[in-house]
Amino acid sequence: MVYTLLSIAAFVSVFPFLWLIVGATNISSDILSGKTTPGHALFDNIVKLTQQVDLVQLFYNSTKIAVISTILTLIVASLAGYGFEIFKSKFSERVFAGLLAMLSVPFAALMIPLFVTMAQLHLINTHTAVILPTVASIFVIFYFRQASKSFPMELRDAARVDGLREWQIFLFVYMPVMRSTYAAATIITFMASWNNYLWPLIVLQTNEMKTITLAVASLLSAYVPDYGVVMVATTLATLPTLLIFFILQRQFVQGLLGSLK
Amino acid sequence: MTGLKLSNVRKTYGVLEVIKDVSLEVKPKEFVVFVGPSGCGKSTLLRMIAGLEKITAGDLEIGGKRMNEVEPSKRGIAMVFQSYALYPHLTVRENMGFALRFAGVPKNEIIKQVDAAAQTLELGALMDRRPGELSGGQRQRVAIGRAIVRKPEVFLFDEPLSNLDAELRVHMRIELARLHKSLAATVIYVTHDQVEAMTLADKIVVMRNGLISQVGSPLDVYDNPDNMFVAGFIGSPKINFIKGVVDGVSKSGLTVVLPGYQDAKVTFATKNSSVPVGDSVTVGLRPQHFNTTGKMKFKLNVELVEHLGGESFVYAGNGSGDLITVATQEGRGLKSGQKFDAHIDPAKALLFDANGQRVR
Ligand SMILES: Nc1ncnc2c1ncn2[C@@H]1O[C@H](COP(=O)(O)OP(=O)(O)OP(=O)(O)O)[C@@H](O)[C@H]1O
Ligand SMILES: [Mg+2]
Repeated sequence: MVYTLLSIAAFVSVFPFLWLIVGATNISSDILSGKTTPGHALFDNIVKLTQQVDLVQLFYNSTKIAVISTILTLIVASLAGYGFEIFKSKFSERVFAGLLAMLSVPFAALMIPLFVTMAQLHLINTHTAVILPTVASIFVIFYFRQASKSFPMELRDAARVDGLREWQIFLFVYMPVMRSTYAAATIITFMASWNNYLWPLIVLQTNEMKTITLAVASLLSAYVPDYGVVMVATTLATLPTLLIFFILQRQFVQGLLGSLK
Repeated sequence: MTGLKLSNVRKTYGVLEVIKDVSLEVKPKEFVVFVGPSGCGKSTLLRMIAGLEKITAGDLEIGGKRMNEVEPSKRGIAMVFQSYALYPHLTVRENMGFALRFAGVPKNEIIKQVDAAAQTLELGALMDRRPGELSGGQRQRVAIGRAIVRKPEVFLFDEPLSNLDAELRVHMRIELARLHKSLAATVIYVTHDQVEAMTLADKIVVMRNGLISQVGSPLDVYDNPDNMFVAGFIGSPKINFIKGVVDGVSKSGLTVVLPGYQDAKVTFATKNSSVPVGDSVTVGLRPQHFNTTGKMKFKLNVELVEHLGGESFVYAGNGSGDLITVATQEGRGLKSGQKFDAHIDPAKALLFDANGQRVR
């Protein structure tokens, strides 16, 4: 019984993905008629896709944005989360509460002021404009603060007795000890950046600046969308996030086994 | 060699005063143990010496130099923590060499010193393991090794054995005593285990509520406690306290009535007879001091007997509620409900005034 339920759940969650891959091998009209068996149009679809968009440029843009954004977010958020947890004071607790309150402000409300700010900084249609607002992610700061609660305080004391300065403690003790946290945060941030749609759509205006996610969406909004091409593009766009996930998942588990035991 | 001096040291957290005016001198090579109940400020005081907590007021001198504002790593101390605090991502070897690495000691020199410490503690086979792959006792040894490598003048230990099982604790205790001899270093050791305190210490510092209650050698603190708190804290099983009232003061001493025991009268020889007639006092009787010949006699009924093999602890009362603990070698035949006479020599008794201060 349990297995039946689990199998259904597994099928339901995997089906769209399978359908995506199968769809990538079919022509548009077959997909629309509900064909669920692999076809022979994969190569055609890829060729058509490369004719419509500059895949290399798109991947380069997306990767550049996601990598830089992830690195910066992790640096800023882990420093902040560690700081909030270790150097507690009444004032810092208030600041933190304020940050949490800001989580409830929807992005739609921030969009216009943010756009105006970027315009004044002459950053419209640059990748900097996409990366900057994501760097101080309140959610990731919160995540690191929660995780820092499990960081043993005596380790910090031991490191101080061993003569490390605060930044050395962060770099040589906190970061390696918390590497599973960093792995999980990398997955979250990378995926969020890779799939980010609304804000890049607003600030990136020329084709050579756009990301793969934007390109896939624009394929869909064509007068008559070629679903075969859309499926190929979507599959390709999904691959890097999957890759990141699988690479880090191993480290994630290793981190759990090797460190805090 | 380095001693250490605390003068009128205080620590406050906001309005909470955790250490209240502590003064203490530790001689070079001395093994000093801080004992006291949970929350009395032992760890806080140790961390102040280590430089991990700011000193609110007063002076700390290590080796004759004022160290209040000096960084932990520059105080010539090393600390072993209760949870060992080994770096989980580093091997034993790296853990032990960590401080030297950041002090800029050349690599081959680090290897030499780490290997020397490893030899002292017989860590040879474990050097390339991570802390997660070690047993509790092994981790403890690595933590001590990490401290030794830094060649400190003063070792600080915060309940280093409390996470070990009983057998290992005894074993490590002996090893620590040996280590102290061979290193000839000053040691300050925090514990709330009085057996550890009694066996390891040259000098015991009994703390209570952020104050030092008494300082002395283990036997001194046991034989001559300054107050009821120390008498009650040191010694196992716990000392018996019996309430009494001063009935007469004479040249030969104080005569005390024990209302709980048929108004028995006992005279305690004392020169200090500042306690007036009518004042209440407390008589302290160590369980080990009872015998079959002493002048002072308690007619009791056995309620419970604990047999430890060599020795038995008899818990006996006279129906008034209070139980007297008697440690005896001849308790094997005793059963609960039996009549039991406990004798003790009045000269062995400790006498405390109404404020718990020692009278005799
Ligand atoms: N950072 C802090 N802020 C406020 N109070 C504190 C802080 N650290 C310790 N205290 C208080 O100081 C007192 C002494 O604590 P300390 O840890 O020194 O006790 P201890 O004697 O080591 O006890 P234990 O045997 O349980 O380890 C306790 O009442 C504790 O609540
Ligand atoms: Mg403590």
